Amino acid sequence: MEYEQRMGDGRRIMMAKEDIITDIENGSNEAAEKGKIPALTDDDMDHLLNIFLDPSRMATVDVGDEVVMSTDEGYAVFSGNYSEMGGAGIPMDATSANIAMERVMGADCVTYAWVDYNFKPSKAVITQLQQEIESILLNTISPCSYGAMPNLGSYYKPDGPFDNVGDLMAEGKIMEALEVYKQVAEDATEDMVWVTGKLAKMGLDNLNIDTAGAAGDGDFLAALKATEILKKTIPNFSVEVGMANEFVLGIDGTMEYDSMRLAGMYPHDQVVACEKAGVDIYGPVCNTNTRKSTPWNVARAIAFTKECSNVANIPVHPNMGMGVGGVPMVENPTLDAVTKASKAMVEIANVDGI
Amino acid sequence: MKDELILQNIKESLINIEEEKCMNLMQDALDDGFLPVEIIEEGLSPGMLSVGEQFEDGAVFLPQVMMVAALMEKCVAFLNDNMPESEASKIHGIVVIGTVEGDVHDIGKNIVKVLLNVNGFEVHDVGRDALLSKFIEKAKEVDADIIASSALMTGTMEAMGDLESEIKAAGIHDRVKTMVGGAPVTQYWADKIGADAYAENAGEAVKLVSDMVK
Repeated sequence: MEYEQRMGDGRRIMMAKEDIITDIENGSNEAAEKGKIPALTDDDMDHLLNIFLDPSRMATVDVGDEVVMSTDEGYAVFSGNYSEMGGAGIPMDATSANIAMERVMGADCVTYAWVDYNFKPSKAVITQLQQEIESILLNTISPCSYGAMPNLGSYYKPDGPFDNVGDLMAEGKIMEALEVYKQVAEDATEDMVWVTGKLAKMGLDNLNIDTAGAAGDGDFLAALKATEILKKTIPNFSVEVGMANEFVLGIDGTMEYDSMRLAGMYPHDQVVACEKAGVDIYGPVCNTNTRKSTPWNVARAIAFTKECSNVANIPVHPNMGMGVGGVPMVENPTLDAVTKASKAMVEIANVDGI
Repeated sequence: MKDELILQNIKESLINIEEEKCMNLMQDALDDGFLPVEIIEEGLSPGMLSVGEQFEDGAVFLPQVMMVAALMEKCVAFLNDNMPESEASKIHGIVVIGTVEGDVHDIGKNIVKVLLNVNGFEVHDVGRDALLSKFIEKAKEVDADIIASSALMTGTMEAMGDLESEIKAAGIHDRVKTMVGGAPVTQYWADKIGADAYAENAGEAVKLVSDMVK
């Protein structure tokens, strides 16, 4: 007998039970080896196997085991372009989209984000952002979050003032590259603090620093430093940090936060650094391998996230969108794969939210 | 009799960025009767590939990769000086590489570029967010063997399919092969758009390019 499963790129495949078991074991072992963390227990793997053998169209958790969702922004969901955001392409303003997100979709929070989704260009449209945040706050009840990416890449020419660090290194200008990289991280920190300060004045409840670490260890460092400053300067303000990648890429390799080297950190180390900085919610990422099956990818993501939950003292909300958390990398991730991966995250990896 | 261990030591000294030791070992290897091409293929290249793999695993970081690449370039230049004239400066192939239009992610592409470079390929980088016409123009200008394109987003990987069409429209499909890579890209995708090769990582990219230009 064979069971319908998905590949990491979303394609349907048929797998025998023995092959699913093998993939679950291999995915778990891969995480254990890479992250130097415990593999899933036999009980965990049995539970995961049962989730994947279930032929239901979608999976869910038991009553009472539900977790909150710090969702993607309503504007992207309803109005966003299909191919790039997985949105529905409905002509709708941001406030209406967030009202619908709250009242129709039952979102636990509402979110606004500038369409470019970077902090740096947010500066140029800050009054527009303030107006949007105010409008959303006046029309919704749930906590309101602003999401954006540190995206150090946006600081390089031609988008920004700095020479591209990768190009400098390729030219052999390693020391110059590292100096530039440090400066870029400092500028990004300042921009995150400035933009958030302006939005907090409107009553914003939470900042979601999304895809932290996308441009390497300096990117993650900027997110941590910005969090530290924001927590000290804005009373009762909360900060969520969602990662870009399962490990922090070492563009510098020596950057530290609170004597912890950031490069090479996996989720169970990243969450410790986040806690130190004052982060309120941490969003780990485990990258989906498009060449592997969903049982392999989910087992791997669960092993990483379970260890992260074990060491965390703050809520852990893993990213469960396209290409992360064991979810296939396809514009509109399929219901079966998303719900099975999410069920496993809650029931095996003990996450607090998604 | 040639001591094979010396090639292993060259590999290790390259990985550890021990320039003086590496240079001395290469001289010893030449004195021992190893051909320069043997030293590159069995000592230096495996070392560089190993560093590329370690980078992908998060075990070493970008500055180390770049420093190893710089040392490798010095080593190859030294060996070139010791090659017979017919072999010296021999280019294995010409590659045009870039991240497709709409996509600004270039870290992976840069690693592939460095590895191809130090493995004896002439590499022309059209950069990130590169117009598809740039790939074509550069390939025509340098008479490229391979056009390698990278994308990190499902929204931009569509451009790889457009690139295949444009290569055909430009009439160079018969003399240039294509390779695709990047996180969302798969062999299935490569087959679907008609690319000649798909590389899962930088090390595999070098092997595939080497095979395609043979």
